[in-house]
Formats: sequence, C-alpha cells, structure tokens
Amino acid sequence: MAYPWRDERETRVLSEHFGDPAARTLEGWKARGGYKALVRALELGPERIVEDVKASGLRGRGGAGFPTGVKWSFMPKDDRRKPHYLLINADESEPGAFKDRELCRWTPHQLIEGALIGAFAMRASHVYIYMRGEFFEPAQIVARAIEEVYAAGLAGADVMGSGQAIDVTLHLGAGAYICGEETALMNSLEGRRGQPRIKPPFPAAAGVFGQPTTINNVETLCAVPHIINRGAEWYRSMGTDKSPGTKLFNMSGHLVRRGNFEFPLGFNLKELIYDVCGGIRDGRSLKAVIPGGSSVPILAADEIDIALDYESVAKAGSMLGTASVIVMDDQTNMVKQVRRIVEFYAHESCGQCTPCREGTAWMVRILRRIEAGRAARSDIDTLISLGKNMIGTTICVLSDSAAAPVHSSIAKFPAEYDALLRQDEPVMATA
Amino acid sequence: MNEKTPLAANPGWAGETGDFSQLTEEEVRGTTFVGRRPPDGGAPAGACSYPYQLARRSPDAPLFEGPYAERLDKIRSRYPDRRGALLPVLNLAQEVRGHVSAETMERVAEILDLPPAVVRGVASFYTMYNTRPVGRYLIQVCTNVACNLCGADDVAEAFLEHTGTGAGETSSDGMFTVIEAECLGACGFPTAVQINERYFENVSADDVPGILDRLRMEWSTREGSD
Amino acid sequence: MENVTCTIDGVRVEVPRGTRIIEAAEGAGIGIAHYCYHPALSAPAMCRMCLVEIEGAPKLVPACVTTVADGQSILTESEKAREARQGTLEFYLANHPLDCPICDKSGECRLQDFVHAEGRRHGRSVEAKRVLGQDDFGGDILYDGDRCIMCTRCVRFTREISGSNALGVVQRGDRSVIDTFFDHGTEGDPFAGNVVDICPVGALLSKDFLHKARVWDLDGNPSICPNCSQGCNIRVDSRDNLIVRLRPRPNPDVNSYWMCDYGRRRYEWMNVADRFETPLLRDEAGELAAAGWQTSILELVAELKPLLGTEVVLIGSASMSNEDNGLALRLARAIGETKAVFRSPRAESETVCPGFPKLARRKDLAGNVRGLEILGFRRVGDDDAKGGLPATAGRIVIALGDSLADADDGFGNDAALFVSLGITRSPANLRARYVLPVATFAETDGTFTNFEGRVQRLWPARSAPAGARPAWQICGVLMAGIDADSAPADAARAFLSLVELNAGFGELSWDIIGSRGAMLPEPSLLETAEIG
Repeated sequence: MAYPWRDERETRVLSEHFGDPAARTLEGWKARGGYKALVRALELGPERIVEDVKASGLRGRGGAGFPTGVKWSFMPKDDRRKPHYLLINADESEPGAFKDRELCRWTPHQLIEGALIGAFAMRASHVYIYMRGEFFEPAQIVARAIEEVYAAGLAGADVMGSGQAIDVTLHLGAGAYICGEETALMNSLEGRRGQPRIKPPFPAAAGVFGQPTTINNVETLCAVPHIINRGAEWYRSMGTDKSPGTKLFNMSGHLVRRGNFEFPLGFNLKELIYDVCGGIRDGRSLKAVIPGGSSVPILAADEIDIALDYESVAKAGSMLGTASVIVMDDQTNMVKQVRRIVEFYAHESCGQCTPCREGTAWMVRILRRIEAGRAARSDIDTLISLGKNMIGTTICVLSDSAAAPVHSSIAKFPAEYDALLRQDEPVMATA
Repeated sequence: MNEKTPLAANPGWAGETGDFSQLTEEEVRGTTFVGRRPPDGGAPAGACSYPYQLARRSPDAPLFEGPYAERLDKIRSRYPDRRGALLPVLNLAQEVRGHVSAETMERVAEILDLPPAVVRGVASFYTMYNTRPVGRYLIQVCTNVACNLCGADDVAEAFLEHTGTGAGETSSDGMFTVIEAECLGACGFPTAVQINERYFENVSADDVPGILDRLRMEWSTREGSD
Repeated sequence: MENVTCTIDGVRVEVPRGTRIIEAAEGAGIGIAHYCYHPALSAPAMCRMCLVEIEGAPKLVPACVTTVADGQSILTESEKAREARQGTLEFYLANHPLDCPICDKSGECRLQDFVHAEGRRHGRSVEAKRVLGQDDFGGDILYDGDRCIMCTRCVRFTREISGSNALGVVQRGDRSVIDTFFDHGTEGDPFAGNVVDICPVGALLSKDFLHKARVWDLDGNPSICPNCSQGCNIRVDSRDNLIVRLRPRPNPDVNSYWMCDYGRRRYEWMNVADRFETPLLRDEAGELAAAGWQTSILELVAELKPLLGTEVVLIGSASMSNEDNGLALRLARAIGETKAVFRSPRAESETVCPGFPKLARRKDLAGNVRGLEILGFRRVGDDDAKGGLPATAGRIVIALGDSLADADDGFGNDAALFVSLGITRSPANLRARYVLPVATFAETDGTFTNFEGRVQRLWPARSAPAGARPAWQICGVLMAGIDADSAPADAARAFLSLVELNAGFGELSWDIIGSRGAMLPEPSLLETAEIG
C-alpha cells in the first residue's frame, strides 16, 4: 500500500511493501517474491524480455510517457563491441513529485531487480543509478542493497551464473534539477556541467561515454519485475488501452491526506482528491490543481472531473507528466505561487539557450512586480509573448515548462492578476 | 495553513506516518538497515554514494589520505573515463573539508588530471557544492510550491529567527546556516527541510526550536573528539 | 559521395549528404544569422539564432547542426523563423548594456548588425539590467560579463583549438559568466588573442586596441604576417597611415581562422618613424646630403659601370619580399660574382596550435626566410641575427632594408662601394655612400614564401614615405642603367622575371598565387636553387 495512508481501493503493485522495513533487505525481498523475475528473465533471454515489456504497454514514468519497450528496442542488438549502459534517473526534482524517493527508500531491491532485468535485456554491462545529491538517506539504503546484491552474485562478473556481467554503480548528483533531463543526466554522469545535449545523436546510438545508452525512470523499472512475473496481459488488464498499468500518484498541497497512492491509470482525479485524499483541509474549497508536476498547465476547479491517463489529461489541456498532483484551495494566492514556480525554473535553467536563460529571469522580474502591485496590463501581454518565444525554441523543454504555469494561470485566473495591476504604467523597476 | 502535526505521528521529524504509526524513526529512515558504512568506501559499487554534507569536517585535511585515498581509488574504478569521477570526487572533497574552495578545486583537477577551469566550471554549476564554509548544520528549507502552499515561508522565517542569522548566512556560533532550497522531493510531507544528510519533514514553525535543540544536543554528544 | 537536393528560400541547392543547412545556405549566398556556430569549432546549437523553418515540420530547427534532407523546403524568412529570431534578439537586449557609444566592437558587432536588420523597434523590458561585472583575464584580454551573450565560442576555442582550457563557463542560468580559473590568466595561451576576433560582441576586448580607433575609420588590407615563417594570412588595419592592429584572414591550408599572439602583437615596428625620407649621397665634403631620385640613380650608375666585374656582397632581408630580394640579387649578379647572404633570428622551439597543427609559431622569426633560401641567399650569423657577415674589403656592398642593425659604424669602410637600400637610420646604414630609401613589406605589393614553400601575396597596408620606393623597382632601374636588362614595370612582372630565371619557382605567377597562395614545385621544397 502506498505511504503513509492506506486506501482499500488501491491497486498495490509497486507500493505493496511501502512502510514495511523488513522488505528492504535482500532476504526480506526474496521472501516477498523478489528476484523470481530475474531468474525468469535470464531464462527468457533479451529479445523475449523486450517483447514482453513492449506488449505490456508500459510507458516511461519520468514524465514523457514514452513506451518503454520501444525505447529498449532502440538499443543495438549486435554484439558487445560497444559497451551498453543503462542509466536510472533517480534525480527526482520536479516540484510535486516524491514517488521515486519512496520507491528507493522502501523497496530498493524492487528497483535493482528491474534494473538488472533491463540491463540483461539491453545487453548493458553497467547500470548507473543517478540519484540526486539531496537523497542521502535513500542513497544509503540503495547502496546497502547493492552491496547485498553483489554479495549474493546477483550483480557483478557473472550474474547468477548466466555468463553475463552486469555492474551497478550508485552515483550522487550535486543539486541541479536540469540533470533530470536525460541528456543532461548523461553529461553530469560524465563529469560535465549538467547541460542538455542536442538530439541527434540519440542516446541509444551515442549516449553516455559515447556508447549506446538507455535512460529509465525509477518507477518505470520497478514495474518490470512484475510484468515479467505476471505477464503483459496482466499489466494491460489495469489502466486504459493507451495508458496501461498502475501509477503512483503523488498527492500534495491542501489535502486532508497527502502522500503516494497507487491506482490504475485512468483513475478519476476528482475521486482521488475528494474520496481517497479526503478533500480540502480546514473546510476550504478547491481553487486549482496542477495534475502532473509544476511543468504542466494548471487546471481550474471545474476542470478536474477527468481520468488520469496520458491521453485524457492532454485532452483537458494539461499533461499527466509524473502524476504529481498539487492541490490549491480557495485562499491560495495564484500569482505568488506562479511566481515561485517560475523562480524555480530561473534558478535551475542551465543557461545554454538564450530564450530560457533570459526569458525565465525576465518572467520572474515581471511576476515579482505584479505581485508587488507595480505592474500594468502591458506586462501581462509581455508575459504571454515571452512565453510564446520560450516554447519550442530551445534544446530542452525547461523553458516550455516555465511558460506553462504562466500561460495557464493568466488564462484561467485573470481576475487575480487584474486585481494587482496598476491603471497607470509603471515608470521603472528595481531589480 | 498546516495542521500542527503531533510529535507522536512525526517520529523525529521523519515525516507523517499516517496509517503506519508503529514505525520508529530508525525504521522510516532505514538507519538500522544501512548500518555503518566504512570511510574507505566499502564495496566499490557504493563508493560514490556517501553523504557529503556533514557536521564534522576538517577544512585543512589533505586530499586524500588514509581511508579516503582508498575510497578515491574505488570511485575511480567505476568510470571508463577519468572525468566521470569528477562529481563523486568533488563530493568526497566536500565530505572531508566541508566546502569546495579554489584550492580544493585545483587539487581535484590535479588528482584527476583535468584542467582547473573545467573543474571550476563543473563545481560552480551545481548548488550543493559550498563554495564557502557553512555552519555545522546546513539548514535548507524547501519553499517551492507544494511546501509553499503549506506554510514554508513561515518555517523559513522561524529558522532565521531562532538561529539569529540572515538568509544564506551562518549563525555567530558557527552552528547553523539557513538557506531556501528548491523542491526536495518530499512534497507529501510539507514543509520539508534538509539538514545536512537528513530530511526533516512535516515541519511547522512551532517545531523549529525543538529541531534546533535536538541538533545542538547531537553536536554536543557526538562521539570522538573534534 | 551522394548528393541531396533541397530548396532554401526557393533557391534550389544541391550539396553532399551530411551538409548542414547553414553551410548549404552559405554556398547559395544565403546568410543565416548565428552566434555560437563557427565553422572551425564544434556547434552546440545553443544561441538559437539560426532557427529555420522546414516546410511541413512543426518545430523550428537549428541550421547549424541540422543536416539537409533530400527534398526539403527550408525557409529562413518565414514568419515563424523571423518571429523566433526577433524574439531571441529581444531576449539578448533585455540585459545587454547600451554600451555602443563606448564599446570597441561597435561597427563590427553582430548584435548591432542583426538587431539593426530585424530587431524590434522598441525593447519591452522595463526591468533593471542584470550586472555581472568586468574582469581582466590577464595577457591582452579584457572581459565584460554584461555584454557577454554566452555563445561560448571563446570557451570552445581554448578547449578545441588552443588546447589551453583557460576559459570556462562559471555558474548557471542567467548568472553564467565566462571566467578563467580564478587568478590563472590567459597569458599561458599563445593563441589567446583569437578569442577577441571570434567574440560576436564586445565582451572580449584587446587591451592593446582598447579605445584606439573606431572600426569604421580603419582601412583593412590583406597581407601576410611577417613575424615568423608560418605565413599566416592577415588583415592589416590602419588609420591615418598608422597600423593599429593585425587580425587573421582565413586560409584553410595555412592558418585556418587563427594567428598566434606573438605575431599579432608585433606591428609597432611597421609604424617606426625614424625613416629615410629621401635618397642621400655624399657631397664634396663627404657628408650625406639629400638628393633627388634622378640624380641619385644617374650618379650611382655612373659609379657602377667602371666597377662591373667586382665581387658583390649582398645582404638580403627576410622581412622583405621575394621581388625586393630577388631583383637585388639579379642586380648584384649582373654586376659581378655575388656572395648573397642573410641573417634572421631563430627561436629555440616552435609553438604548435594543438587544434590545427598546420599552424605554429615557427622557429624562424621572419616572414620570408624560405623565400630567400630558394632565391639563392645563404643564411649566416647566429640565432640572434648577429655576426656572420662576409668580408667587405674591395667589394661592392649592397644592404637591403634593416639588415645591418648590429653592424658598427666601421662596417663597409673598406668596401669598393657601399649602397644601402635602407629603411631606418642606423650607424652602419649611415656609412653608405648611397642611401636609397625603400618601402617595407607593409607598403608594397609583393610575395613571401613561407616555411613549407607556399608563395603568398602581400598588399600594401599603408603608404611609404613620399621619397621611398620599392626595392625591386630601384634594382630594376639600376639594372637597366648598367644595360643588364630592362626594368620590370610592376611587381608582378618582377616576380615573373624571377620565375624565368629560377627553376625553383616552377610555373608560378601572381594570377596563380591569387589571394590564397600557391605551393612551389616539389624539389624546391627541399633544396635551394640557383638563379642563372
């Protein structure tokens, strides 16, 4: 069950053993059915594993939702001339997301098993777990679990006597949200500044250290052992046709019950907020919801009766992303929260691309003036125009992510902005 | 507005335990499972994953001697390219010395045979490398949106008030530095505060004096001499 | 190699597969605005200026890294592309200081150029501009972080070309600046000056050039660097007949887009003022007195005629052209058996450019050392260009340029006749019986031959003093005067006369040499040949 609140309606696949300290150890995990999938995977062979994952319809849980089996199939299948790498993106830094931390600290072996299966399927000789530097406690837990795995011969020179060598290394980051972008993650792993790369070349052709690479999110890999154990059909029996499987929903904000909850994709957002999470705390009412982490457009209170799957949320004008649901009550100062979000993007921008480097900082200055009552209508027009120039014009989508809350909040909460505007034009601004 | 979370449901500020109220702080943090990780890095696979924001540090310690030299070799062995070890080695240097100065950068450049300007470019890119000394306890309060909605600004204010420091500055007794942080990845447990290598979760402004007392007590009862 | 065809703004273009859009467009005469792209550096596609529209594709693509696909219709001036460029320019201007009135780059600044072409009429930012400050990078380089557009050309240059890794990006986001490693400067990089050339704006400046001249007051002329035997193609900028800076001119076979700092900063000597302004002859009292050219030539010819057959000591100058030295040699040999020598300083080692190893600051520290060797001059003296001069007793001595800088004022006292085709006053020059002022390499048409046997043209970058003449011209007229041959009418014909007489030059001509130079035929690259 997800943590820290149990709900009987949950479909507990990944989160079955959250809150169960005994599940952390190798023995404890094996006793709970762990590492059976690895044994089976080694028998099935790489091609069959990739087929199964493809057939399951599993989509990347890091935000983009790209079909995982398809991504795995991009890796060269030839021989071992070039070392292949599997990178695990444990750089969870998206505001609102806190699922990978839970997976790492409660079920490290679930992640490691998924990683070993993935490495075997993609003929990867080395798995790097890139974990954000702030996650010292989960890192210690995962490091200890890796030690256990090496000691038991599940990783190392000859995995379970299969003849395949798979090494696992845990690598800590040092504080940069942009390193969660897969090409920036590769650069950071290589000891460079965490700046995204242009594509092509694509990681599967030339990735980290110039070699074929696949990058997967923690939650994505944690689903893999279950798919191997119980089959693609079983996985497809949950969720929707285009978005199968279960998802850890990260519930935060002004809710009575916050935390991770695991439901099949397609679960209704309104039901999640009001039934599962107990609705808005302190007797208040709902004003706005960000359904997928701070990078996605904001939904107004009357737009939440939607299914939480990739297609439905997109149709509603937002994105499912990491399914990080941030709930805001009627007392929320929307301008302040948008300003804080854009400050985050300005702080985290790597600085390569002009529209992002300059645009995020400029937007912050305007938003601060709006919040302080020193802005005019023309500033709103400028914000909208800057946002348009920041969408689709950069190497990565950080600038698009900064524009999303700005555009959606101006469109859906115009009164909040209007109330702060001056009728006369401001003369000059301070920094 | 945040309901004040009773201490019983927030074991050692390890977060709301909801339906798992039987859990102890050690069980939530996993400290028993982790045990003691030796300074020489233990198994090489985990050599790159030690906390590097510690209360105890030696700013003048050589880089690297004794068990740290062994750990350095283990780190280096995990990457096909010597540059890949740069972040872990900077982490190790900060673990030993407490911050990454120009001289530290130059030494790391020497060890890894990289141009010093490259090391500086990398070290200055990442937020967690302290380029100047910080207090024994680096208190990072998340004020990003999910915690902001739940009173993070009040928590940050409270830390500044009770440590008697300005934002980004160190208290006069050298114990605490307070800064605002971006999302710490504990959004279900607002307000999240990172203090050195630990997360303090579901922190409210009222909790702050208790947290600071606890830190002072930990420092004064630490094992070994300074 | 397979070709692909596309249209760029309606123009049909055929290029080899793998050609990038920006290169294909340039070949078709369509310039695409860009900052971070440079043909000799890696392309990070980060400035976002070169975004173009591919008809039918939803997103704009950067022309500097996207390769042309067959059948594409590429639009650089579509509404989407123009809006994107205008938006990017506005982002740059939001924080860029309005420094044009005090910025050296004004007039050759690509931010000015592109904003002037298609920027918004009015900036919309009312925010206070971000201040990042200025820094002295050591050596000749100043950095202004406020003007910097973070294109990182300078960083990639020190990484990929000069190999010094002296510069890097520090911090991230809008706090990014370029910096060295704290107080390590750029002095250790022998090619650092190139970053000032490639900086699109006035963020990197040369201290030497700082506030010296407005670029629109400059005359620029192509020439060859005279400071070592690499033969870097350069552009010489002058104002009011004073040379104020040297910059590299691209030549993919010699120096790519670069030149070294050693050569770049040695131009002051071209401005030296203490010149011979008119011919000087000995009067009845034996003192040197000014005279006109006609008188000087007639008197000198009259003195030479009875001396025909006397041995000649000819001291050439490796800082002067093939035409100058070659015609002097022809004259000397027309007079009598000639010992043709030259001296030139030599460094202990060469400094190779790691990213373009064809380029190096060579050991020979003058521009035409190889040229003289091929003409038939013998090298004497030490690495400081001192000593080694042959005995002058009873011989005719002809000295070219400033080749006698180290000789004392007793030099040539025992010569039968001492003629100085001189540039600046020196004790030895002033012992000559005839002083005929000549133009420097910077003041004449001519050619240099570089270390590997490439003959390259020089064009004049300033005017010589009114009374000075090119040495090839003087020698040609003297040869005509002693009935040895007719004088060539211009420097190109002077060169051809050398080609006729010296197998070392093969079939070259100025037409063939053009503005990119031409290699001498094989055997010349190894031996010296004798002029008949």
